[in-house]
Amino acid sequence: MPTDTMTVPLALPAAAAPPKRRSGFAWLTPALALLALFFVLPVLSLLLRSVTEPQFGLQHYAELIGTWTYAKVLYNTLLVATIVTVVTVVLGFPVAWLMAIVPGRWSRFLMGCLLLSMWTNLLVRTYAWMVLLQRTGFINQTLMKWGLIDEPLALVNNLTGVTIGMSYIMLPFLVLPLHATIKSLDPAILRAAATCGASRWQAFWLVLWPLALPGVASGALMVFVMSLGYFVTPALLGGASHMMLAELIAQLVQSLLNWGLAGAASLVLLCITLGLYALQLKLFPAKGGQHAA
Amino acid sequence: MATDLNPSDPPFLSIRGLRKTYGQSVAIDGVSLDIREGEFMTFLGPSGSGKSTTLYITAGFQDPTEGTVQLAGKSLLNVPPNQRNIGMVFQRYTLFPHLSVAENVAFPLRVRGWDKTQTAERVKAMLKLVHLDQHGDRKPSQLSGGQQQRVAIARALAYNPPVLLMDEPLSALDKQLREEIQFELKRIHHDTGITILYVTHDQEEALRLSDRIAVFNQGRIEQVGTGAELYEHPATRFVAGFIGHSNFLPVKLEKRRGDVADIVLPDGRRLEGAPLRCDAANGSDASLMLRPDRLHLLHDAGTDTPSIPVRVTDLSYLGDTMQVHLATNWHQDIDIRLPLRPGATPDWQVGSMGHLAWVSAHSQVHAAA
Amino acid sequence: MLLDHDRLGLPLRLSLATIGAVVVLFLLAPIVFIALLSFGSSPWLIFPPPGWTLQWYREMWADPGWLEAMWHSTRVALVVTALSVGLGFITALALVRGSFKGRALLRGFFITPMVLPVVVLAVALYALCLKVGLTGTFTGFVIGHLVIALPFSVITLTNALEGYDFALEEAAMICGATPWQVKWRVTLPALRLSLFAAGVFSFLVSWDEVVVSIFMATPGMETLPVRIWSALRQDLSPVIAAVSTVLIGITLLFMLIAALFKKDDDHGH
Repeated sequence: MPTDTMTVPLALPAAAAPPKRRSGFAWLTPALALLALFFVLPVLSLLLRSVTEPQFGLQHYAELIGTWTYAKVLYNTLLVATIVTVVTVVLGFPVAWLMAIVPGRWSRFLMGCLLLSMWTNLLVRTYAWMVLLQRTGFINQTLMKWGLIDEPLALVNNLTGVTIGMSYIMLPFLVLPLHATIKSLDPAILRAAATCGASRWQAFWLVLWPLALPGVASGALMVFVMSLGYFVTPALLGGASHMMLAELIAQLVQSLLNWGLAGAASLVLLCITLGLYALQLKLFPAKGGQHAA
Repeated sequence: MATDLNPSDPPFLSIRGLRKTYGQSVAIDGVSLDIREGEFMTFLGPSGSGKSTTLYITAGFQDPTEGTVQLAGKSLLNVPPNQRNIGMVFQRYTLFPHLSVAENVAFPLRVRGWDKTQTAERVKAMLKLVHLDQHGDRKPSQLSGGQQQRVAIARALAYNPPVLLMDEPLSALDKQLREEIQFELKRIHHDTGITILYVTHDQEEALRLSDRIAVFNQGRIEQVGTGAELYEHPATRFVAGFIGHSNFLPVKLEKRRGDVADIVLPDGRRLEGAPLRCDAANGSDASLMLRPDRLHLLHDAGTDTPSIPVRVTDLSYLGDTMQVHLATNWHQDIDIRLPLRPGATPDWQVGSMGHLAWVSAHSQVHAAA
Repeated sequence: MLLDHDRLGLPLRLSLATIGAVVVLFLLAPIVFIALLSFGSSPWLIFPPPGWTLQWYREMWADPGWLEAMWHSTRVALVVTALSVGLGFITALALVRGSFKGRALLRGFFITPMVLPVVVLAVALYALCLKVGLTGTFTGFVIGHLVIALPFSVITLTNALEGYDFALEEAAMICGATPWQVKWRVTLPALRLSLFAAGVFSFLVSWDEVVVSIFMATPGMETLPVRIWSALRQDLSPVIAAVSTVLIGITLLFMLIAALFKKDDDHGH
């Protein structure tokens, strides 16, 4: 048998790693300096002001929790974040499921719609809802035309408007990772469930839902955390009497010049945010909370 | 084994006139088969031959374009898969990754509303059956491929279904593990007496496991029979080539005479009375099938047996046999096996000339390639 | 079977399809709505519009405020892009190839600005810029946007470098190239696509950035999002719809380019 003795099979390692430089830390310094000067320092300084201005002490925190106006803001924020999370999961799960199982053309179309929405400027999208939800807006007009209501509903400048707008913005953030999770599941597992005798209902609750849950939970956590700290949409759709935490911080700084209280509110927001991230990392140690197939 | 049932018993699982088309392409075209209760029936064939499609229609994951599938006299076709009460083991284990081994096996029982004690007892018995009773609390990801497949079998059998379907369940395992589990399967089949429909493309596996084998090719069943029947008396050239090793000499069918034929070998030699196995007309092309283990390599031409002159082109030592490659006068490569006795020196070398002889009754005339 | 579309059964298939249709409508309607209204003749944004017109676009072009804002946004975004990609590249190099301790922690650190609520950063930066007089300046905007854009750049480029086959550089060095030549002729071209992606992300992040910009802006210098924000706090003029439609058009353009690039990538590699 003729053998080509010149072709020695190369044992190629997968993507050779570079030799470790002796340090390379020097290259990191510009970016580190930037972040230290214009990120860490300012934020720490702000947080520090919460306990140093106008005097030492935790008065601002007492004020936040004690004063009804401020406590209500905290409550509103948590309430809206919760409702938005629930709405996005309820709407988003079927969409993610659909996207994972329909043929490629439809799946790409759905993905395109999600991406177009997600990449359109935030202000543009919020503005659209401001117009749609106003008293003389399209939604109220149509509902009245169809005789479903006599008076226009107050859909904007309150928490309802904020919830609708935020759900709109947050939906793609839940659907995209959840769709990836569901797509990574082997359809044969659901066929096996059917053969074992499970009805569609049973197969859903006993097999599909538990396997999709990591994707749902990590998406929901991300939506909740983002909703907590969101500024633009709640400010535009909520109105002054239905403030959320981010807008409170902004107003304390711009109108009231109360830096101490703003710092305190910021610290509260940061603590909740970081706490939830820590929770996510604990529950889903894999990167990004991906379901390990 | 279930081969000694009375042939006049009504078929347990009956597939009739099954046809499945996808637009223009035909996946299966008129498949009919009767399976007896307790039988181990294998669907054997290359990929795309329709064996998996037939299995999936029986399982309920596809609907046939035409035809029926009946279990104990009742049609399965309009019954959704979760109500067919059939067990199935898939190619890729498909254990529920979020449940433990015991919970996996308990799943079909839980779904049927069995109470806790009954379920626990049954799970224990099933895990014992597949020799995994110490692994109940493990998760599937902690088990090896072979162990996972055994759990899948336990899960499929847990609710005592009348039929067990298996879709190439061992193809993802390495050879040694495959053979181990094949023997396990035979034991389980013997212990439970369940009817098994097994799909595979590995003819050795089919021969080892089955009571009967249905050989699929291009959407049709070419032959159904026991391993011996298929090996000794293949009905078509495809079956002859698929089961066991074969050499096919291209011949001309001179004259049909009942169930034998006179043929002309490529070098002009005439052979009379070769067993006939095809419908080819007089004067047409055909093939002469010669099994490697029914061929003899002689130094001199045989006088009362057919033989052809050959030259040795390659010798391979296989431990218990010697695989010899021979070239004929018309440059066809023929491969035979010669038994080796320990210590004996083979008396053939590359380049030697010899004669390949066979007993006419051990050859068969099949259709041309 | 729940993951086989053709075996879902009619009721489930219909329900999923219905929700899918509703969500698609939900996602697209506001965007289409605004685009249509920008051509409508009603100053109170009545839908369906009583007539069609281009007057809002003319108003937008005629208003120096809008054009200036667009110009500021573009300038800032371009500078931020260059800085973000450059800084991001050397940072990613250090993170992936360096040998100092705590690299995982540092990676997490560089991602933090993206992950924390922007309003806190915006307010903190505002305090600092007030003190040093950087509010309303080009530099202030660039710094603010850069802090937010850098994480995107770092993530993209660290991912790219991790998947990068160093054997290419070894081969070049064997052929006699100096370290600088290797960087210039081998590393950079191979990372071309990821550098481009990091650039696009950084540009979009800066261009769309709202919160930091709101605090950084003064009446003398504002980016486009800030101007839209101020306009929205006053009234819902259709001119904003015209501006919005322009932005929607830019998004669609980017999506088209991304789709073309993806096809190219599939074929070319």
